[in-house]
Amino acid sequence: MRVFITGVGVVSSIGLGKDAFFTSLAEGKSGISPVEAFDASNLGRSNAGEVKAFRPRDHLTAAEARRMGRCSQMALAAARMAIADAALPEGALAGPRASVVLGTTMGEADVLEDLDHAWIAKGLPGVRRAWIPKYGSTLLPIHVARAIGAEGAVLTLPAACAAGNYALGLACDLIRAGKADVIVTGAAEMLQELQFSGFVRLAAMAPAKCQPFDLNRQGLILGEGAGILVVESEAHAVRRDARVLAEVGGHGMTCDAYHITRPHPEAAGSIGAMRQAIERSGLDPSAIDFVNAHGTGTKHNDSAESKVMREVFGERKVPISSMKSMLGHCMGAASALEAIGCVMTLETGIYPPTIGYETPDPDCDVDVVANAPRKGKADIVLNNSLAFGGYNSVTCLARPGKLPPQGATAS
Amino acid sequence: MKPRAITGLGIASALGTGATETLAGLAAGAPVGGAPIASFDAAAYEDPPIVEVPGFDPTKHLGDKGLRTLDRLTKLLVVAARLSLHDAGLKRDGQWASLAPERVGVCCSNAYGSLEAITELDRVAVLEDARYINPAKFPNTVSNSASGYVSIWEDLRALNVSVSDGNCGALDAMSCADLFLETGRAEAILTGGGESMSEALFLAFDKLRVLGTNGAGARLGEGAAFHVVEPLERAKARGAKVLATVDGYGTAFIAPKDEVTLLFASSEALERAIAGALADAGLAAKDVDLVVSGVSGIAQFDAEERAAIEKVVGPDVAVAAPKQVFGETLGAGGALAMSAALAWLDGAAPSCLVSGNPPAKVDTVLVTAVGYYGNASALVMRRA
Repeated sequence: MRVFITGVGVVSSIGLGKDAFFTSLAEGKSGISPVEAFDASNLGRSNAGEVKAFRPRDHLTAAEARRMGRCSQMALAAARMAIADAALPEGALAGPRASVVLGTTMGEADVLEDLDHAWIAKGLPGVRRAWIPKYGSTLLPIHVARAIGAEGAVLTLPAACAAGNYALGLACDLIRAGKADVIVTGAAEMLQELQFSGFVRLAAMAPAKCQPFDLNRQGLILGEGAGILVVESEAHAVRRDARVLAEVGGHGMTCDAYHITRPHPEAAGSIGAMRQAIERSGLDPSAIDFVNAHGTGTKHNDSAESKVMREVFGERKVPISSMKSMLGHCMGAASALEAIGCVMTLETGIYPPTIGYETPDPDCDVDVVANAPRKGKADIVLNNSLAFGGYNSVTCLARPGKLPPQGATAS
Repeated sequence: MKPRAITGLGIASALGTGATETLAGLAAGAPVGGAPIASFDAAAYEDPPIVEVPGFDPTKHLGDKGLRTLDRLTKLLVVAARLSLHDAGLKRDGQWASLAPERVGVCCSNAYGSLEAITELDRVAVLEDARYINPAKFPNTVSNSASGYVSIWEDLRALNVSVSDGNCGALDAMSCADLFLETGRAEAILTGGGESMSEALFLAFDKLRVLGTNGAGARLGEGAAFHVVEPLERAKARGAKVLATVDGYGTAFIAPKDEVTLLFASSEALERAIAGALADAGLAAKDVDLVVSGVSGIAQFDAEERAAIEKVVGPDVAVAAPKQVFGETLGAGGALAMSAALAWLDGAAPSCLVSGNPPAKVDTVLVTAVGYYGNASALVMRRA
């Protein structure tokens, strides 16, 4: 069964909504700025892809905003945008054939922070009882399902920085297995102080900007946001005469089983995941036009990822780019936002640039779309994600009708 | 779903560490509790209604190298994983004996991550300075950390999918594993879940006033269990012992009607989940010999769960509540319930029945789980 993406919604540091996001991506606009949500002055790092323009009440009712943490708020806002983009009428997602499958790394991190800090500073009486049930990554799809009336599976996949791809992949598997007709999927993540501090303490964070594949790259910059996609079975999309944005091919998943934070130096797992995505799409590597990199801007990640490109594509240099140069690393939300960026590439033929790219790194011998967008063939693209815990996931996205029949129906 | 073989069990629960301890303990209806709390300093709390894995000693199973920075959740899950791989005959004395690491994966449920790790670092950040948090412990704060360590420690490279759906998560993990086996992503998947006790988790439930007092009502628990799941024919072909099969799964979500409610037990969601699981297994309600429920002692949720069971399966069916023994173990709950179901299917007659009496030979078990937000899942297991 073919699976289509028929709507996308975005809350990001470079724009709210698909149009603003696509425009910024194509222009190479940076969303990195000094953090305002907390005081980072002691940490020696202050920049992030913080979403400053998001006002929950523009998208949510007062009751909805009140019962959710920021992560769910962004997820629901993006879900509403995606559903509107898919032109699904009110009530179209009601009932047991609609599901919500979302990824995240930490979920409602602000809720836990509030509870934990109150407990530590003031003791148990200082903890707001009504806030306790608001914590848990389980809640993301629950809140969204509740708002849209979905009554099928509600699942969170906490797959760290690959969570968006995991969610999209599982959503497609569920549709192909006949378990759902339409699924609201994607991921959300919020910027939060403990996590920010942790990355600083891991010496993984760059001082000011994220420069994937650059010789002098100094690490990642954190970000936040939500990227939500509406995926439908072909039958469901055809029945309602839906506009199809993109088709989902195969997805590959492997685990490095090597180190909790570092990618495997031989990259066997990520090579395997990329090959799976290509093979499960019924394709040969020669069919891939563009790769959206995981591209975090850390030494280890970018060189391992370059190795994957050489191993999978051989001599042919497939254009590759990292949206993290603009968005920062939105952790759980990253690969969902990037999947939406891939949809933009498929629609427009524009490869978004890797901004801040100054000096080529011999260790990253790849064709980086440096600093300016590039027009090119964009029938079939890969969305690469390599996460904490050694979780690797790659999805294949295509212009409608460009996948071979077996690849359009496999998973 | 096609029948999936359970070929191995690894478990750490209130009854001890290991399948034999747990299943024998269930049969004996072993009394639990009374041991001093080991996971946090509980001196300030008088007789807290919690149950831990008694005398949990990861070094016995994992050696004493590399454990220093791991949190309790990780150690529980890695021990359960190692035991399950050996029980399934995939490993012998720590070495692979069947299948290849590239073809074995993990599907792991957890509800609240490592509150222990997050709280420890938050404490440093609040009372001292975020600059001083221990970078070696920071990875433990990430939700999929424990599950990731399972792959690292046991060299499981096919895939690792973490699932979070509260009390239903471990049953959902089984449905994910079924999909991944069906799509050929792995030949065997360690499927289960874990949850660890911590002061923050205890206080959260205590402050919500859902835990029992004076030995009655709900107790919060912890534990981890992995079932090794394989396609039935392949399991038989490699000569594996088949402990039971998983034959059907269903899930549903029903939202509360008003805007204010957040915590919500839905009997309607469970009715649908049960009906879905039975249909998926190609069975009728009358085929169910026993329901291994998620009844935990939280009255509002228990009532909705029992109502759904009664409505769909019938008023006379035997209902067991292993949470009486294990405590409420959240993300691990469905996995521990499935382990308890194995005991019944194996012919043992465990304690913790809350109504009815199962037939002498239990062939078909329905496992149910009710989440805190209107979510519910159910699963059918059968005698091999």
